[in-house]
Amino acid sequence: MSVIVNGQPQRLPEPPTLAALLLLLSPSTPFAVARNGEFVPRTIYEECRINPNDQIVIVHPTVGG
Amino acid sequence: MTKRENEDQLVLYGHRFASRLLLGTARYESPRQLADAIRVGDPCLLTVSLRRQLPGAKDAGRSFWNLLRDTGRTILPNTAGCHDVREAVNTACMARELFDTSLIKLEVIGDEVNLQPDPFRLVEAATELVKLGFQVLPYCTEDWVLCRRLMDAGCEVLMPWAAPIGTGQGPRNPSALRELRRRAPNIPLIVDAGIGLPSHACQVMEWGFDAVLVNSSVSRAIDPVRMAGAFSAAVRAGRSGYLAGPMTVQELAVPSTPELGRPFSADSCMGTEIVHGPVSSEIGS
Repeated sequence: MSVIVNGQPQRLPEPPTLAALLLLLSPSTPFAVARNGEFVPRTIYEECRINPNDQIVIVHPTVGG
Repeated sequence: MTKRENEDQLVLYGHRFASRLLLGTARYESPRQLADAIRVGDPCLLTVSLRRQLPGAKDAGRSFWNLLRDTGRTILPNTAGCHDVREAVNTACMARELFDTSLIKLEVIGDEVNLQPDPFRLVEAATELVKLGFQVLPYCTEDWVLCRRLMDAGCEVLMPWAAPIGTGQGPRNPSALRELRRRAPNIPLIVDAGIGLPSHACQVMEWGFDAVLVNSSVSRAIDPVRMAGAFSAAVRAGRSGYLAGPMTVQELAVPSTPELGRPFSADSCMGTEIVHGPVSSEIGS
């Protein structure tokens, strides 16, 4: 059972919440997250349950025009 | 900064800026070069973006984040690369949380060849973002009806292109750009995309546009730091020229040197007071 994080399979954490996944991955800060194409505010990471094959996107600041 | 420049500030959604240059942060050779270009160009806003973190890249974005923080500049995130409304709205939401700003440069691309905005999806996305409390700066064309729809949607700033992104062609449709300025006299208009030379920037500022956004024309120059300074000077010169009120263009030649009293003229000036022109430096022209 896994989720897809930035295109890569990742083991589903226990409990299956976004907060647990982010704890496992510890992405570089600052970052923002979307689940299945929808933005997830950081205030609801704890309650955001994730399911097998969910698409998680983690973004960071980069250069732009 | 002079007193007059201090009084002539750019106001975008209530944010006041002394500079009228916006600078993109992409395609520089090094972070140091970018930092130097920012220092010399003195832009009011820096455009930035969001990208996926690569697996294992633990410092992803961190050094860039620190560079931005050290500049102390206002940040304008974009939705570059988005092609549909949902994608653009969610990217904007992520940018708002990450950069802690409601300002968003809204890009919804409709064509891969010239990266032209999709006017229909752009209006739809702008409408939704305004409802969500964003301060939207839409990247658009100079099309009047599109611009009117964006204003109707609640956009208080527009960013019409000069030419396709990254081309450096300069204004491709000057008459339409000038008409847009005339028909929308009270909304800040920032010319974005396609500016290649400082003279292009100066030109659109002379036409009364409020600001200019450049990226590739600075970062892809041989000497980007020097070019940033050139654009800064050009934007100020164009703005001053606009405020000064250009002379009216004449169909026929009008001599600037006084006609009366020419040394070898058949006309006598005896008894006639010679009227000198108002600007002594014009003599000889």
